[in-house]
Amino acid sequence: MRKWVGVLLALLVIGVAIIWGALYAQSTADFMGHDRQPIAFSHQRHAGELQIDCLFCHRGARISPVASVPSVYLCMTCHRSLKEQTPETEKLLAYWNDKEPIPWVRLQRLPDFVQFTHEMHLDAGFQCADCHGEVERMSQTPRAATFEMGWCIDCHERNGASLDCFTCHY
Amino acid sequence: MDLKRRDFLKVVGLGAAGSMLPGCGGETAKLIPYVLPDEEIVPGVANWYASVCRECEAGCGIIVRVMEGRARKIEGNPDHPLNRGKLCALGQASLQGLYNPDRIRGPLQRDGERGEGRFKPIPWEEAMSRWVSALQKHPGGAVLISRPVPGTLAGLFSTFMKEISGTVFFYEPSAERPLRAANRKSFGIDFLPDYDLANTTYLLSFGAPFLSHWLSPVHFGAAYGRMRQGRPEVRGRFVQVEPRLSLTAASADRWVPIRPGTEGLLAVAIGRLILEEGRTNLPRGDRSRFEKFYASFSIDRIANETGVAEEEIVRLAREFYTAASPLAIGGGIASEQTNGTDTLVAINALNLLVGNINRPGGIRFFRPSDFPASSAEVVGEQALLDLKGPSKKASRSVLMLYQANPLYTLPPSTQFRQVFEEADLVVSFSPFLDESTAMADLILPDHFFLESWGDHVTEGIAPAAGLAQPVVIPRYDTRPVGDLFLGAANRFGGGVKERLSWTDYRTMVREQWRDFFDRRQPGQPFEAAWVEALQKGGWWKPEGKPVSISQRGAPSAAEPARFEGSEKEFPFYFYPFPSMGLHYGQGANRPWLQELPDPMTTVVWGSWVEINPKTAQEYGLAERDLVRVISPYGEIEAPVVYFPGNPPDLISVPIGQGHRAYGRYAEGRGVNPLALLAPLIDAPSGALATGATRVRIERTGRKGRPVLVDQTGQGTRRHTEGGEGEA
Repeated sequence: MRKWVGVLLALLVIGVAIIWGALYAQSTADFMGHDRQPIAFSHQRHAGELQIDCLFCHRGARISPVASVPSVYLCMTCHRSLKEQTPETEKLLAYWNDKEPIPWVRLQRLPDFVQFTHEMHLDAGFQCADCHGEVERMSQTPRAATFEMGWCIDCHERNGASLDCFTCHY
Repeated sequence: MDLKRRDFLKVVGLGAAGSMLPGCGGETAKLIPYVLPDEEIVPGVANWYASVCRECEAGCGIIVRVMEGRARKIEGNPDHPLNRGKLCALGQASLQGLYNPDRIRGPLQRDGERGEGRFKPIPWEEAMSRWVSALQKHPGGAVLISRPVPGTLAGLFSTFMKEISGTVFFYEPSAERPLRAANRKSFGIDFLPDYDLANTTYLLSFGAPFLSHWLSPVHFGAAYGRMRQGRPEVRGRFVQVEPRLSLTAASADRWVPIRPGTEGLLAVAIGRLILEEGRTNLPRGDRSRFEKFYASFSIDRIANETGVAEEEIVRLAREFYTAASPLAIGGGIASEQTNGTDTLVAINALNLLVGNINRPGGIRFFRPSDFPASSAEVVGEQALLDLKGPSKKASRSVLMLYQANPLYTLPPSTQFRQVFEEADLVVSFSPFLDESTAMADLILPDHFFLESWGDHVTEGIAPAAGLAQPVVIPRYDTRPVGDLFLGAANRFGGGVKERLSWTDYRTMVREQWRDFFDRRQPGQPFEAAWVEALQKGGWWKPEGKPVSISQRGAPSAAEPARFEGSEKEFPFYFYPFPSMGLHYGQGANRPWLQELPDPMTTVVWGSWVEINPKTAQEYGLAERDLVRVISPYGEIEAPVVYFPGNPPDLISVPIGQGHRAYGRYAEGRGVNPLALLAPLIDAPSGALATGATRVRIERTGRKGRPVLVDQTGQGTRRHTEGGEGEA
């Protein structure tokens, strides 16, 4: 009897540790977020099937620290001329007609004390997929990497980039 | 399964621990895209706009970092000749004015009795008609009290008030009126000169607080840096003569303590020595007038009256006249006495004696730029007090306020409140609900300066005019004060409409600049010049030739200062000084400025009383004890801070706290030492003599809780103690 309880407790402890560890590894990841977008936008459809270049929509990446989400106007440049609507594109049209921005849920987020710039990494010849994964094969966009300091430092070491604290923390 | 109580608790405990795991609920961050992208905005990339800082009267050039339509950071404009890229704490904190939660968000009308401070919204149209019809009902009686706004706005205010036969007063407690009056007497010049600190080799300052709040502190701070460390061959020397060890005195090579109100006498003694020892460059014709005046003074008597030893006076005089480029300036406590103007005339005389006028390192006179309608002649407190005089100009009429707060900056002993009580209608255009605005019947709030067009003509340096542009979209339902006055002129019709026919204030500013550029650079396309001025932050030109002066006024009087309160009953001199961050109270609603430690005592977020430790101990006052400071006109209570830089017979208290209105960060915090002051005026300039009231102190037996930054382990508190000043 006592033994069973011991086993049960051990299992509980191990289970808790696993869950804890998994959550810790996720750290800042908002992993509940990706299926809660206001519109079920699919990268698979746009970047994969339609072969739209990442930078066509994420225009900031070349010229700004942030990649930026496309304006509703940019979505409409194509969607205005589509004949067939789905329930999801109807939502987009509703936002556009109401002149309301789409309240996308933010998936990639760095803490305030980190300065990251897309512009420099693109200048250095990186592809979007190097960090963000092959989103053209994902119907829902998860967070591809942990984007934690160790992960950044690894890559900086591999590529001989600066390891000075002030590179990212200023 | 037989679960024992202990095991059960273990399981429950684990469950509880599990519940403390990082949750995955909570608020998710949103990414909000533009609906329509703005062509000029790249998300994540800042735009910098040049403008003009309006947090004090100096008018430094600023550049504002704006991202996605939000102002994020303010820095000095590197091109502007006044501040050359530097900016003080007030300018840095002006963002907290823009984002202040207590800003007035739309037009308001009084709800309840006047002065109760209760207001209810009113539509703009209705507010405008109420204001204009009140003006029409009171022809000739309207009064506008405005902060100095040298530039297009001053022209607009002056023209408007002239056309409706009203009066405009440009009033600001820090305007250094005595200095202007003294310069008129000494040099016959109406505008402020440039004190060329950067090239001075010996600076003799009589109380001028040029490192904290004198005329243009950023300009002088940078010039002082160049004077001390900018020249490889010489480090300028600096001596400060001042009763108390102010921040500026603490930076000097030598501090010469002196009895308050006798600074002018010391200047007379130094002048006399310069003449006696034949070291003057004065033309012969002028010399006799100076000699005649100095003849009636003896050095030993002056040493006795000032408390400065005779050998020290001789030393100062020799240092001064043997320096390659000496400069004497005066201000602060020296000018805030009943003999302030005379004191400054005696100090100016030293510059005339050594002939440093229009020489590098001396006093240089540059005519301000010939910007149209830019004059904003600043009045002293006397002019405001005359409003309740026998002429009763303002009574039963319309009293208007633009960013002036006389109910806070004028001591209650002046009874200025009467003017408010007798007015038929009080209208305020301030963006914040300060003490005077709280007495208004009608509030038509102006934009904050970062949301408005405007310009600012700089005085004292080479000609410069700053151009201010809005850097953000207005946050609330406010309107630029320029638009309000143009709108009122339009409703008025007649002469005022003809003179002020612009549709809106932006157009008026543009047209003024067009005239200005047409006269400066005829034939140049205006549009290009205008865009360049917007980019650069204004118009300025390199130093031209200074204006020569014809008048060399000798001092005519060196009366000792008068003080209110008998020495027997009120044994202490009292000096309320503008605090570094809050100035004359304008900064009190900016938490960053509240948090700025006073440079000498490190106190934050409250008031304190500076007492010489020996004096305090005689009264049995420990540091932090609440002490009552009593003048013939009122009393305040604040905690004691030992301040060895005060002479034993002087009490000093910073100005800026003790607000009864002005928002959540300012209200009910600390005390306002101006409440103690006697209504004494320096006659020639009409400025209030803030250093002329005597006080006594009493123990209260209670402890205060001032927050000093250098006392580790003392956390900041929400409230510092200290009662209201009862007047």
